[in-house]
Formats: sequence, C-alpha cells, structure tokens
Amino acid sequence: MTAASAPVLTRPALVERRPGLSTARLLLLELRHNAMLWMLPVALAVFWFLSYRKTMDLPPLWNLRATDLHTRAVADLIVPVTGAAALMGSREARRRMTDLMTSTARPRWARLLVTWAATTIWALVGYGACLAVIYAVTAHQASWGGPLWWPVVVTAASVVAFSAVGFAAGTLLPGRLTAPLVAVGSWFVLVLSTQLITGSQSYWQISPVVAGPWDDTLDPGVATFYPYVHDLSIAQVMFLAGLTVAMLGAVAWPRSSRRVRAASAVVAAAGVLAAGTAVRLAGTGTLDAHGMIAIPALHDAASDLPIRFTPVCSRGSIPVCLNPAYSRSLPAVAAVLSPVLREIAGLPGAPVRVIQVAATYKQGTGNVISTGLAGGALQGEPPEFRLLLPDQQTGGPFLTNHELAGQVRDSIGPAIVASLVSDGPDASEAQHAVAAALSMDAGMPAGTDYPGQPVPRGTRVQGHQETGQGPSCSGAGCGSGAAGNLDKSSPSYAAARRFAALPLAAQRSWLAQHLTALRAGQITLAQLP
Amino acid sequence: MNVQVSGLTRRFGRAIAVAGVDLEIGVGVFGLLGPNGAGKTSLLRMMATAVPPTSGTLRLLGRDPGEAGQRREIRCRLGYLPQNPGYYLGFTVTEFVEYFALLKEVPAARVPGAVAAAVERVGLRDRARARLRTLSGGMLRRAAIAQAIVNEPELLLLDEPTAGLDPEQRVAFRALLRELGQRATVVVSTHLVEDVGAACARLALMDRGWIVFHGTPHELSARGAGHDSGDAPLERGYSAVLSAVRS
Repeated sequence: MTAASAPVLTRPALVERRPGLSTARLLLLELRHNAMLWMLPVALAVFWFLSYRKTMDLPPLWNLRATDLHTRAVADLIVPVTGAAALMGSREARRRMTDLMTSTARPRWARLLVTWAATTIWALVGYGACLAVIYAVTAHQASWGGPLWWPVVVTAASVVAFSAVGFAAGTLLPGRLTAPLVAVGSWFVLVLSTQLITGSQSYWQISPVVAGPWDDTLDPGVATFYPYVHDLSIAQVMFLAGLTVAMLGAVAWPRSSRRVRAASAVVAAAGVLAAGTAVRLAGTGTLDAHGMIAIPALHDAASDLPIRFTPVCSRGSIPVCLNPAYSRSLPAVAAVLSPVLREIAGLPGAPVRVIQVAATYKQGTGNVISTGLAGGALQGEPPEFRLLLPDQQTGGPFLTNHELAGQVRDSIGPAIVASLVSDGPDASEAQHAVAAALSMDAGMPAGTDYPGQPVPRGTRVQGHQETGQGPSCSGAGCGSGAAGNLDKSSPSYAAARRFAALPLAAQRSWLAQHLTALRAGQITLAQLP
Repeated sequence: MNVQVSGLTRRFGRAIAVAGVDLEIGVGVFGLLGPNGAGKTSLLRMMATAVPPTSGTLRLLGRDPGEAGQRREIRCRLGYLPQNPGYYLGFTVTEFVEYFALLKEVPAARVPGAVAAAVERVGLRDRARARLRTLSGGMLRRAAIAQAIVNEPELLLLDEPTAGLDPEQRVAFRALLRELGQRATVVVSTHLVEDVGAACARLALMDRGWIVFHGTPHELSARGAGHDSGDAPLERGYSAVLSAVRS
C-alpha cells in the first residue's frame, strides 16, 4: 500500500474514560516538579527569621497570635509564592514547549490549571506548616480560648490569590525577568496599599495584610471578651476569591477556542465584579466598640454579645478576678494590688472584688483610636472595681509579668483608692489628701491615668497622627488628686502625711465613720485626723 | 486520506511560509524534503494543529481541525515531534513520556504500559529513570520521539527526527519509522535525503512555500539523471528539481 492510496483510519482513539485519574496523576507529576517545592525552604526560612520568633514573643493569647500570624504570613509568603507561580506559568514558553503542548488533546486551560493547582498546593502546605507550629505551641501555652480561624482563611485565600496573580503574569508575559519582577512588584503593592489606609472607613482595608484597625497596635483585649468580628475577613476573602477567579479567567483566554474564550471572559468578569463588590464593602467598615472592623452589610449581631467566661480569681478579702486568658498574669496583679486592697477591705463603699472588663474603642480623626472604659470604674451593688489591665489600654501587649505588675501598681492601685474616696479633678482637698495618704501607705504613687470615672485624667490615644493623650490634666486636681502632684509645702500634703502616719486601725476607724461624708465633699482638710 | 490539504497558506506578517499547498497523504511514511526556509516546519505545525492556517483547507484523519471538538479528536490520535522540542529537564525519561501520555488523554490504566513500550521502542529502557538533564543530545531526541509515539498515533508528524542521532541510532530509527508506517500516517520533514530514501514510500519537495515535486523516491531519483550535483541518485534528483524550479 502506498502513502497516497490509503483510506482514512477509523480505529477509536485511546481516549480517557475516567479523566479524574489522569488529572490526579498529572497533578502528582506537577507536584513532584514544581518550583514552589524548591521555594518552600526559602519561604519557611523567611518566616522563621522575620515572623516566627516575633509572633512567639507575644503573650499566648489566641487573638494576638492569630492576627499577628495573619499579617506576617501574608507579607512573608507573597514574594516566594508569586515568584514560584510566575516561574511555573512561564515554564512552557521559557522551555519552548508551546507547540508541543498545544498539539496535545487536553485543553490548554485544563493543563495550566493543573500546574497552577500544584503550585498553590505547595504554597498552602508551606503556610499550613507555619500555622501548625504557631497554633500547636499556642494551644500548649494558652490558658483559655481557642484558635481563630477567620485570619487563617484570609491568609490561605491570600496565598491562593498570590499564586493566581503570579501564574497569570508568567503565562501572559513569559520571560526570564517575569518572576522576579512580579514577586517584588506584588510585595510593594501589598506594602504600599496599607499606607493609604486612613481611618477605619477605608477601601484599602481590603488589603489582605490588614487584620484589624490599621495602625492600631495589637491589643490582647480584642476578641477576648467579644467574639472575633469576621466582617472584614469575609470581604477580604471575597476580594481574594474574585481576584483569583479573574486571574485564572485571564490565563484561559489566549490560544483558546471561541467557546473557551467566551467562558473565560465571563469568569474573569465575575471575578472582577466580586472583587469590586468586596472593595466597596470594605469601604463601609467602621471600628466597633470592641476594637474590630464591622461592616454593616456583613455584620452578625451575635458577634456583639460578650463571650461568657468564668473569671479566675485570687484569694483575699477583695479578690482580683481576671479573664481566664490572662490567668498567667493573675498572681503578679493580685500580689501588687494586695496592700491597697487589704487597706480598704471592709470600708463602706469599698469594692467587693476587682474584675477585669473589656476596653471600649472609638475611632478619632485619621487613624487615631481611643480606648477606654465605658462608665465608671466602681459600679454595681455591692460595688465592683472594673479593671482594665495596662496592656488593654495602651494596645501594647508586650509586657512581662514584672512590667505588667509595675504598671498595675502605678496606675490601678491609686485608681482603686481614688474610686473609694471619689477623688478627681473636682474633689475637695481632703479627698486629695486621703487618697494620697492611702496610696503612700500602700507603697504606690498617688497619681494615675486610669481611664474610669471618677478619675478622668484622659483616655489613651493610639495612632500615628496624634500620639499624645486626650484631654490633658495637671495640677493638684488632676487624676486622683495625687500626692505626686501635691505641692510639698501645701496644707494638703501635710494632711496626707499626717493621715498616712496614723496606725492602720486608726485610719480604718476614721474612714469607717467619715468615708461617706468625705466622698460627698463634706470633710475639710482641718477635719482630717 | 488521513491528511487532505488544499490551497493551504500560512503567513507570518508579510512573509509567506506556506503558499497554497495541495497535498493528500494516506497510511505509510511520507517524506517532506526541502532546503532551509522551504516551509516544511510551518506546514507540519499546521498539521499538528499548533498554528491555524491563514487560508486554505486542512482535514486530518477525516476531521476539521478548525472545529474545537474535532480538533481534540485529532489531537488524541496525533503524535508530534517539533524541530526543537523543549524538555522539562528535571523530569525522568519515564515521567516525561508519561506526562505527554496523560496530556494526550491516554487512559490512566494504560499509561504505564504505553510509556514502557514507547521508551523501549526508542531504546531508552536502561535510562528510563534518568533525569533528562543527564542525557546526551541523541538520547534527549529519542525521549522526544517516545513522547510522540506513546499514544500509538494514527498521524505522526516528525520534524527533523534524526538530527543529533548517531548513524547506528539513525538506522534503528528508520526501522522504527517503517514499522510505524504499517499502521499510521507518518510525515517526516527532513533535509537529509538518505532518510527519505530509506524509509519513505512517497515524498514531497518544498521550496519557498510551494510543493515543487510530489512522487516516489524512485521518481525523484529519476529526475536527477544527467545532473552532476550530489553523491547519490536521490540527492541528484533533489538538486535537479530545485535547480529547475529556481531557473
């Protein structure tokens, strides 16, 4: 038979009847020979050096570790993931295999999707390893609570989106410089996007590196007393999913049939629409009273309800009770407050316990956020002293137990005394003197900036635009009317020294009789013993 | 006919690579001869459905490659060895061939057997587990041939398949071509006339995008009678036809 006279062959092709098996096998091959696999050690080393140790330096509170890991992991992984994905996306063209690949039966988009999936799987494995270590250690160390999963979902969605962006760039613009340019460019876009965030109502909060109010330092109180508000996370995941879909739609466009092109255009348009909607939603976010970003359209009212917990309490005449997440701090806090609590225990109007409560947050102009205590420090019947630990107020959780105890002694001890005698800016000199005397006896400074009433020295303010404090206060009437602010030559100071020199029994006896009148401002300096 | 080409033209910008080619090819080994730049590779790329024609009609295995569903059917039955195939150098020989078997949608259950057979046929069984980056140029070429035949193609397109093969391998390859040509249409593009003479039942000679000769190797040799350029009859025929066309 000659070549010119042969008939058309009719044998059935060896066509796959179970394409899932072939795809799985193809995926295994791609997993085995994937640039992201080789990039994993780099990604893990970057994470170890830049993030792991810093995250683990934080107190073992789930919210702190989870949100810190979220922000850091996104920033750490963007370069290796986009770079590796761009390498894989440009592989066919760089290896000059386009013709050979094009002549195979599997559709181009399906083939590329497998390559992208393998790249993404390795990237997620890398992130999963970081997450597993941080969460495992935190689970071992944390005294209360459980892992937060929304930050994990956002980071995982970010990894998938970074992979899609890099892969699309590599596929559409193949070249030797594509991978480094895309990797570095993505990192700059990520970092610069956060510079444009002003206030909580910013479209740029959609940036996946944002885990809460931007420019607010991590606060251990957030998501401890109230559930983690996942509104922003939902918007971010929606944005990242849209971005991923749009990128994959763009990848499927070139060198495809008309039908595939039409489908890819629809998919890409849907992705862009989803991403755009998510950005708009993020722009409606506002800082809620519990320190998280709430988006009205996505908000679940259930997250406004406080988390029920059984506080851990110290023993003593006036127990100190903390959220169980802070149980590691209880011995130090209770020890440092015990002198003042012993001093006032049993007096009329004295608190029956000191209980830790949640801070309240308020958005100021720009990125200024103020934190404080809603209502007075002394509330209820019988009265309880509502405690905000210093790291809840300042947003700085990075205190050792020793540092925390020192701040509690300097800030909260005098505030307890002040609340007992109703000392404050408008208090009488006798109130100033007694408060100062009790503080001296307890070995505490008399001044305090504790935010609860009746000592409204001012609220702590965070943010880069206004780093100072709120309403300023100075002079003898400031804060607790502290001895620290009393002129040593003043009659108030002399009265305070005189009162402090009394035996404890004499002090308590006088206070038991006159405390109500003292609080009402009816005692003069001359009437003090 | 497994390949039916009519008025096929391919332009790249202003350059015309293939200029209105008419050709019909059935089962057997078909040689595509011609000097550099004659349009052989462009014609083969169109037959491989890697690039669409600018104009003209092309039917492969009785199907229209311009229609997506039929193009996919063609590709399932197609084997293609480009002139400069790329390689994923981190793959082993087996993985490389398996990769293409899967892309050609060979049933997963049949892949291991098909891969082993293809690797065996190109004489790389001993190096089946070697990574491609460790192979010589000739071995790489044989790995590329293995991927082309792994799906038992009904239409096999080979562009300069013997480039880089040593004489012994080249002889073995010609035997393989003859064997494959028993059941399939094999189109071999080459500028080595001895390959055509040894393996092809029919051939076409291209020059500047046109087919200037279409016949058997014997008929081409006969054209060289009295022509003194070339060492072998086929070479003399090749030179004679090109000289006649160009004059």
